Amino acid sequence: MNAETAMASGTGALIRWRSVAALWRRHLQALLRVWKVAITWFVVEPGIALLACALGIGGLVGDVDGGISYAAFVAPGIVVGTAMFHAIFEASWSAFERIDRSLYETFLTAPVTVPEIVLGEIAFASTRALISTLSVSAFAVGFGWIPLGALPGLLLVSVGVGAVFGCIGQLFAALAPSMHTLSLVFTLVATPMYFFSGSFFPVSVLPDALEPVARALPLTPLVDLARAFSLGTVSGTQALQALYVVALVAVLLPLAMMAMRRRLLR
Amino acid sequence: MAMIEARGLVKRYGELTAVDGLSFAVEEGETFGLLGPNGAGKTTTMRMLAGLCPISAGTLHVAGLDVAREARAVRRFLGVVTQADGLDTELTVRGNLEVFADLSGLSRAAARARADEVLAFLDLADKADESVDALSGGMKRRLAIARALVPSPRVIVLDEPSTGLDPESRVRVWEELASLKRSGVTLLLSTHYMDEAELLCDRIAVMHSGRILDVGTPAELVARHGGGRVTDLRPSGARRETIREALSAAGVPFREMGAVFRVSADGATLPALEGVTVSERAPNLEDVFLKVAGRGLSEA
Repeated sequence: MNAETAMASGTGALIRWRSVAALWRRHLQALLRVWKVAITWFVVEPGIALLACALGIGGLVGDVDGGISYAAFVAPGIVVGTAMFHAIFEASWSAFERIDRSLYETFLTAPVTVPEIVLGEIAFASTRALISTLSVSAFAVGFGWIPLGALPGLLLVSVGVGAVFGCIGQLFAALAPSMHTLSLVFTLVATPMYFFSGSFFPVSVLPDALEPVARALPLTPLVDLARAFSLGTVSGTQALQALYVVALVAVLLPLAMMAMRRRLLR
Repeated sequence: MAMIEARGLVKRYGELTAVDGLSFAVEEGETFGLLGPNGAGKTTTMRMLAGLCPISAGTLHVAGLDVAREARAVRRFLGVVTQADGLDTELTVRGNLEVFADLSGLSRAAARARADEVLAFLDLADKADESVDALSGGMKRRLAIARALVPSPRVIVLDEPSTGLDPESRVRVWEELASLKRSGVTLLLSTHYMDEAELLCDRIAVMHSGRILDVGTPAELVARHGGGRVTDLRPSGARRETIREALSAAGVPFREMGAVFRVSADGATLPALEGVTVSERAPNLEDVFLKVAGRGLSEA
């Protein structure tokens, strides 16, 4: 069985990275065309959330988790939560519009395969997560809530956010019969995780019944990782959390590819 | 060697058989049409060729390559214009072409040069930097064709290339397809327009319910299935009821098409009728199609 055959028979064994890069370039070009609006997504919205939490709630609650200011506690959480929204929006909502306008069909008439389309979307979801992390962190670094040295770690975490939520977004985009039902990805996935993954309060304060659920949420280990980098408390726990993130991607990626294949090739 | 060859091609969707044992061959440089009513299996056949639709049974080859097993290789020289156009509304006209060139493996410089060429060929150069949404329906279709041409394909598959276009835009699309044909490109197109099929196609496969009923040049098809003369009776005073009764009484099969009664017979053989304008003509492809769309050729 030659390489082309492996691909066509659906094993997905062969990925042509040239196609993935071309798709990524297409997505970047589309984003840059609307840069004036995009700036508000990347800067204004997360800036508001950050200021409201750090200054508003921060003034009420004082220190968290033994001597950390609430602003320093919440900042990495908002960095990761915002990155998640960017990744999931790109891979589900924007992607669904591309399916709907037969754009994926056009991509497939070039020498491009379904797994390559999915990888291109996830790569770009990660890129958006990276841009968002850079801009939100810049804010927080400016206010002294995140040390500059934590930035490489946060960027690494946001690639993980892009991968996990890129996969989830693509899975939903492939399975949703309409834009209407697709909105469930925000109601059922993005919003609960934004609030219950330890971004705004430690998961440990939740009732005993809820805590294990919150810990299992895909966003929770990513928030913990970001916070460990930001507060300089990286330990062996983080290795396990990183492993959990990798395992999630290993399970979700083939599922997203299979679902998208069923959706597009009929 | 045939450029496109289908043998016993089948596509099933659960209980429904959309394409039911199709066999045909398209020679290099030929323009081949799939003509048939909606639901005949034209689009499914084209989607199978484009690798967008897994084949249930049978084989499909393009330039000797198996579409099912070498999909990526086939797409290197197969251009596809789908019914939906599939344009990228997030990019400019030029952006659409350059991204497709990138996806097809062209270098940046080659992509730019090729985009310029196809824009000039389809007379879209002055729209290059416009948003896709600013284009008319005809221009959108031409952009979809331009995009398919970017990688210089040897075979182009077009699903209903002129459906939904105004008469002037249709003629432009036809002229552009004709000039592609002159350059030696093999074309496979589906249509339910007789004028389009007759004008563009060297040979036509008449399809119905997922099967090919007959293949031939337009003239051959008309000769085989058009019958003798076709006569239209247009009431000019006579009551429709009277004409209906007279034809039935004479045992002449007829079809009421809007204002006229159409009869597959010589006007002289019909019962004499008062207040009727009789016009007689040779059968054309449309007569063949109407028989097919209604019943299928075998019973026609």
